[in-house]
Amino acid sequence: MNCKEALPLIHEYLDGDLHGSEAKELKEHLIACPACRTLFKQLEKTDAMVRSLPSVRLPDTLTAQIMSGLPPMKKSRTWTDWIRRHPAVSVAVVFAAVMFGSYMSMWNDDKNLMVKGNDLQEVIIQGDTVIVPQGHTVNGDLVVQRGKLEVEGDVTGNVTVIDGSVNLASTAHISGQVTKVDEAIGWIWYKLGEIVTMIAS
Amino acid sequence: MNFVEARLAKLARNGDRNAFEELVELYKDKIFHLAYRMLSNKQEAEDAVQETFLRVYTNLHRYDENQKFSTWIFRIGTNLCIDKLRRRKNTYSLDAELPDGEGNDFYAMLPSDEDTPEKQIIVSETQELIRKAIGSLPEKYKSVVILRYLHDMSLQEIGDVLDMPVTTVKTRVHRGREYLRKLLEQHEHITI
Repeated sequence: MNCKEALPLIHEYLDGDLHGSEAKELKEHLIACPACRTLFKQLEKTDAMVRSLPSVRLPDTLTAQIMSGLPPMKKSRTWTDWIRRHPAVSVAVVFAAVMFGSYMSMWNDDKNLMVKGNDLQEVIIQGDTVIVPQGHTVNGDLVVQRGKLEVEGDVTGNVTVIDGSVNLASTAHISGQVTKVDEAIGWIWYKLGEIVTMIAS
Repeated sequence: MNFVEARLAKLARNGDRNAFEELVELYKDKIFHLAYRMLSNKQEAEDAVQETFLRVYTNLHRYDENQKFSTWIFRIGTNLCIDKLRRRKNTYSLDAELPDGEGNDFYAMLPSDEDTPEKQIIVSETQELIRKAIGSLPEKYKSVVILRYLHDMSLQEIGDVLDMPVTTVKTRVHRGREYLRKLLEQHEHITI
């Protein structure tokens, strides 16, 4: 080992990172080389002297000073902070709120009876009552909103009643499912389902 | 200990001022010691401590609890001191004459040594010399040397605080050590 190689090893040793064979090689060099030995001692002593500097203490009043220098807690800022930190979620929440609001207003605005189906010649409407007479067959689905549905004949598709009642006579025959939707939430589910099937088809 | 600090930081973030005060008690001396060694000026160091805690307080929501709180607060404190040193360097040269027409230079404006809190403590000329030697270190070695020797941090911790690779920290420790050795060697009566 020459002196050039020894210097980095001296530093490694003082860092506490020199072990094993390298430490042994360095020791052998230091025994053989008085110049490096002096340098090693100087660096070692520098380390010790720097470490010996006492830590300084602060006046005790500084804690109070620090605390009084802090801005007041602003509770109202917490939710705006949250929005700033979660922009995507915030946008999604606003979007959902708008969608929900529009559906709710649609739900509340419309007070009239609504009948939807492919084959409406077969049904009779009397006031708020929709009747599928005996012996008649409605081909496809039938949707009735805000009204009473009385089924005496046949329906080949699904029957959906929203915010109303359904009365099935003994002669009635419905090939699909009968769904009753009463709540606004349920109605939204129904609408979403409708949208999904629309997208799918 | 780490767990307690992370908990205090969480409480403080949710508006618990007492929790924050506990953090101040835990760290104010350490940060003052750091700032005093970095800036070599008691008043500036006190200001730096205040500013550090203010920054900690206003950035509590950014504190990541998986990180050591000490690393985080030391990073804020060290960066603040480095900023102050750089600003000092940019705004005035110590040797330049002040434009007050009285021939004063900036040394005349610096607080006298009587102001330093350790004036009473320092009995040894050696310590005074080391203090000055550390004060004269170039900025990039200064922070590393102070964290290493006066705060007993590992090279890895210093790397985390200063946001630099351990190899860089290592090089700076070695150069800083060499720099100090040369400075101290010039004062032969200290016989190092």
